[in-house]
Amino acid sequence: MKTIFLVDDSATILLSISNILSKAGYATEKAANAEEALKKFKAGVKVDLLITDLNMPGMNGIELIKEVRKLPSYKFMPILFLTTESQQSRKLEAKAAGASGWIVKPATADELLNTIKLVLR
Amino acid sequence: MDELTSVFVQESREQLADMEAGLLRLEQDPQDADNINAIFRAAHTIKGASGVIECGFIESFTHKVENILDKLRNGEITVSGNLATLLLECCDHMGHLIDVLEAGQPAPSPEVTAQAEALGVRLDAQLAAASGTEVQQGADAGSVPVEHESPVEVSGGGVVITDGWLISVRFGPNVLRGGMDPLSFLRYLSSLGEILGIETLPDAMPEAEDMDPESCYLGFEIHFQTRASKADIERVFDFVQDECELRILPPNSKLSEYLKHIEELPEDTMRLGEILVRCGALTQAELDEALRLQHDSTCQHQEDSQGEDAHPQQLGEILVEQKVVQKALVDAAVGKQTQVSEKKAKESRMIRVQADKLDQLIDLVGELVIAGASTNLLANRSGQSDLVEATSILSRLVEDIRDSALQLRMVQIGETFNRFQRVVRDVAKELEKNIELQVSGGETELDKSVVEKIGDPLTHLVRNSMDHGIEAAEIRLARGKPAHGTLGLNAYHDSGSIVIEVSDDGGGLKKDRILAKAIEKGLVQSGHNLTDQEIVNLIFEPGFSTMEKVSNLSGRGVGMDVVRRNIMALRGSVEIDSRPGLGTTMRIRLPLTLAIIDGFLVGVDKGAYVIPLDTVVECIELKDQPDSRHYLNLRGEVLPFVRLREAFNIEGDIPPRENVVVVQYAGQKAGIVVDQLMGEFQTVIKPLGNLFKHLKGIGGSTILGSGEVALILDVQALIQRCASADELRMRNSNRLLGATNLN
Repeated sequence: MKTIFLVDDSATILLSISNILSKAGYATEKAANAEEALKKFKAGVKVDLLITDLNMPGMNGIELIKEVRKLPSYKFMPILFLTTESQQSRKLEAKAAGASGWIVKPATADELLNTIKLVLR
Repeated sequence: MDELTSVFVQESREQLADMEAGLLRLEQDPQDADNINAIFRAAHTIKGASGVIECGFIESFTHKVENILDKLRNGEITVSGNLATLLLECCDHMGHLIDVLEAGQPAPSPEVTAQAEALGVRLDAQLAAASGTEVQQGADAGSVPVEHESPVEVSGGGVVITDGWLISVRFGPNVLRGGMDPLSFLRYLSSLGEILGIETLPDAMPEAEDMDPESCYLGFEIHFQTRASKADIERVFDFVQDECELRILPPNSKLSEYLKHIEELPEDTMRLGEILVRCGALTQAELDEALRLQHDSTCQHQEDSQGEDAHPQQLGEILVEQKVVQKALVDAAVGKQTQVSEKKAKESRMIRVQADKLDQLIDLVGELVIAGASTNLLANRSGQSDLVEATSILSRLVEDIRDSALQLRMVQIGETFNRFQRVVRDVAKELEKNIELQVSGGETELDKSVVEKIGDPLTHLVRNSMDHGIEAAEIRLARGKPAHGTLGLNAYHDSGSIVIEVSDDGGGLKKDRILAKAIEKGLVQSGHNLTDQEIVNLIFEPGFSTMEKVSNLSGRGVGMDVVRRNIMALRGSVEIDSRPGLGTTMRIRLPLTLAIIDGFLVGVDKGAYVIPLDTVVECIELKDQPDSRHYLNLRGEVLPFVRLREAFNIEGDIPPRENVVVVQYAGQKAGIVVDQLMGEFQTVIKPLGNLFKHLKGIGGSTILGSGEVALILDVQALIQRCASADELRMRNSNRLLGATNLN
């Protein structure tokens, strides 16, 4: 079973996405902020995909992506970020930090799963 | 309500509180970019989450608010008092909408909707006021020019026969490092339609020694059949759009377009032509035709333009593109700077637990405490030292568990205090007074159930202080005080209770007016000599109000007695400390928890009573005390006492040796005379039934280890009883010389 790591400061979004994912047969790991997530990555959590929010208090999603990419074991892991802003600069910045792609909130379950299917090996 | 909705409701309430706090700070410091970002993020989170739970009415309203905040964040509009007020009203409205959702109504009532519309109009007005054109420009600058999607051309002449799409993609070197696999795009593509033919182009692959295994060097020409639109196909490559070369030719394209395609690609023209033929996008005949055309046009082109070829235009495009990239980079850098300076939020590791579950746990811990006490008792009776030792370890653990369990219910009062920023701001505006709120001791913790119930009385005290306590600016200046008044909220622990202070630097209570009013209302008889404390306490009497003018906020005279009643229902008390001309401090004293207390067990005759341990100061023996007097000399101090036997009318013989438990509450000391002292005892408070509500001096009951019931004494009431009995005696002794005791 593929494991997907979710990072979002909104409990509602964490819960709704993980509901969709578990129904689709994925295992999930969750963190409410980037610091907590990074700690888990540094401890070597086994995941196949990271989905993170960009706008979070404290460390933001872009910094998280950068930090995770620095860790050798996650060099090639797909990383998606959640965004509602269609701002291109934000996307570019996240891409430059090492993100693979994005999911526009609010996404339907199909959109979410399709995007995940696209990036998961 | 399903789990998701309840999570949303709770979360949104928290975000809303943050937003409100942020808006209040914004008024003080309109330039604080971090703060504006935080406010925006709160609104943004609510909007995002409401979208997820498909709550349209919250989402659409929050969206409007978010728009304004976004403009604010980008510096397109500036903060004004009006805007802050409007946004605060929007906060309130969002709170109402969340109430609607929580109540399980499918849509808000017409009044609420009308309110939303009215706020919407005002929000739009704010937007419009921020000069429309500028806003437009801002919006344009924010978005990067997007390549216009060319409509699918179904052309007339020069049509190639091929009915599939030609997708030409050259992946950038960083694709793998970005966590993407070229293969996954191809796989995903095949979910949109059928890949008729595919050619892999390893042309960019360098020699083995130069090759970086982490880079991607591959390109593909794909002949693809699908019903999907060009946009759909493009979307497949959305994530790598920026770093890969992607060209999509629709079916039945003009030959010239294929030609252009061949020209523009990095690979050798001849070779690419062959590739296209091989993957089936073109037939050999079409290719030949295309190359002939290319040759012709090149010749013609050279004749026409005399060296000024088509490339400059291309270069221009590239330059524009580069500019775009640079702009984006600049944007990104700016964005980054603001992000970094954003304050690192405290690392919150929270588990949300339903309050019922906690209550249940506390209940069980209570039972555990009782059962533990009973075990202890049996062990002590048995006299087996091993057993006594084991149970004492056990009871220490039970005590720890009790403390930890109670700690779970403890919340900081700071959150409640922060709500008052808003109250103070609104009330100050309404009263046209300039009042500053100073909060301290916000980290003081107390039981959640107490926090929930203290909000209303506190609000009333705060309003009262602002309305009656703090004077108008002119009077303040005349009295040599700063024009703006200060209202203080403070909390601290004091021997087993928590004290919450509401203080103001106003004029203090006017005792003569209070007394006059009380006489007028018939609350006291004229001619009575009342102490200062008694006079100020009159404001807690039902139906008392000194304000001639009834204001919107307070002064209806229904408040203060309700305040006191509410506080007393929490086993607390309220006292007033007023200094004329300097201000008033109202002190609310509350027990830390309502569930379990450390008690001191005493016995009178055959009954057992519990005195809350935190009120016990010491125990002494009652010696040589004549029956008539209710005072004793405690190391030179006068200590009034009450005999429990008399207070509760307990029959039976007075034992030869009586004991006095010295208790202290709110600075007052008194003695309680009992027969036996039975030691410390941890106890769970079981409330008394309604039938016994009027009983003075008893706060509750508990069950002893032996299974017997013990009554918990209400020390405050007993002390008051002492004090009033005291005064009665004093008064009587004044009038009737010689009479010592009428009690």
